[in-house]
Amino acid sequence: MSPEQILLIPKIENGFVLDHIPAGSGVKILNLIRGHQELNDAVLSVGLNYTSRRLGRKDLIKIQSRELPQRFLQHLSLVVPGVTIKRVEKFAIAQKIVLEPPELVDNLLSCPNPGCITNHERCVTTCFHLVRREPMKFRCNHCERWFAMTELENRLKL
Amino acid sequence: MKRDLISIEDLSEKHLRDYLELGKRVEGTSPEVCRKVLAGRILGVLFYEPSTRTRLSFEAAMLRMGGQVIGFSEALNTSVAKGESLADTIHTVEQYCDAIVIRHPREGAARLAAEVSRVPVINAGDGANQHPTQTLLDLYTLQNLFGRVDGLRIALVGDLKYSRTVHSLFHALARFKDVRFRFVSPETLKMPEYVIEASEGATTEVIETTSLEEAISDSDVVYMTRIQRERFPDPVEYEKVKDAYRLDRAALQNAPAHLKVLHPLPRVNEIATEVDSTPHAAYFPQAGYGMTMRQGILAHLLGGKL
Ligand SMILES: [Zn+2]
Repeated sequence: MSPEQILLIPKIENGFVLDHIPAGSGVKILNLIRGHQELNDAVLSVGLNYTSRRLGRKDLIKIQSRELPQRFLQHLSLVVPGVTIKRVEKFAIAQKIVLEPPELVDNLLSCPNPGCITNHERCVTTCFHLVRREPMKFRCNHCERWFAMTELENRLKL
Repeated sequence: MKRDLISIEDLSEKHLRDYLELGKRVEGTSPEVCRKVLAGRILGVLFYEPSTRTRLSFEAAMLRMGGQVIGFSEALNTSVAKGESLADTIHTVEQYCDAIVIRHPREGAARLAAEVSRVPVINAGDGANQHPTQTLLDLYTLQNLFGRVDGLRIALVGDLKYSRTVHSLFHALARFKDVRFRFVSPETLKMPEYVIEASEGATTEVIETTSLEEAISDSDVVYMTRIQRERFPDPVEYEKVKDAYRLDRAALQNAPAHLKVLHPLPRVNEIATEVDSTPHAAYFPQAGYGMTMRQGILAHLLGGKL
């Protein structure tokens, strides 16, 4: 990070840095954070449209929170796969992982097909499988339709 | 573990060939012996929308295997109409019977039923999605007519866009060896890209055409489908294509002698009745093979000895 960027977004003592977010996708993640109640009290610092050697432009989000809920991470890996998550402890990076798109999406989404039984039964568990990586496509285990991620983004079960 | 039959997509080439073998075994078993295979067993037939042909075929198959049948043929007067969930209906009915056949207007209904049921579930059609026993009986018919499925040249004709029968038949056939396809449809009813994309048989030959004549002269099998009004969002579009392909004696003039015409039935006017008496017509025997195939399926899923 260059000195002027450090000025833009403050260092955090403890929490998480979501890095390598493709420019424009930061807003999607902010919406996702808002959808997860456990994170409603967390202090956020947001940087949009930084120059990045790898991505050209990128967004960056810092979350001052003790934990990131498992469900939030699963949703994040769906909506913006490839994000790097760094755990910060006492101003230092303690752990770093890259979120991969999930092979199996267990009850995180509702099905976009209005004729799918999962949209008509009470207490039903949905399941989607990753069937294609480029471009990313998921198949509903019930109605067997294939969906692009763009069709699933607004179907998150929060 | 409990066995279900929900989707052709669950079945490998080996599974498909094993099912064909089952049909053959039923064929080779005397009616008297068949009647002992599922004696004392009860099949629950839950039809949330009417489909007389499929229901009769399943019921006849169960009776011929010595079993009995309970069920309903439309959901209007049942607890379902009063708002009971599918899961609750299944939990109730599984107390009464040894296997369940379900037809339902919602896609994925059979999968959901299988997830909650402790007895085997057979999908007899879930909305626009799957109807695996239809596909198996189509394969079994081909096996009987030609002695093989591998290497056949098959023309799929009519509504290739909305017909689930055609989609799963294509996916199943693509798993066999060297099956070559002609897709014959009006421009607006072409086989969707996603169906071709999802087929695992990457090496099969597919030729798309609008000419039925051309396909007839160059195929072993012509698989006709009905162009269904209810599948069309726009009635004007339906009117334009409803009689696009009509098979009559004249159209069959240049057909190879061994060419067979199949149709999942019921037909409307896409096959003229004058074709019925030609050696090409195989759609009524197809219904018979369907029952045999379902006898085999029931025996297999219910653990009956054949
Ligand atoms: Zn679905």
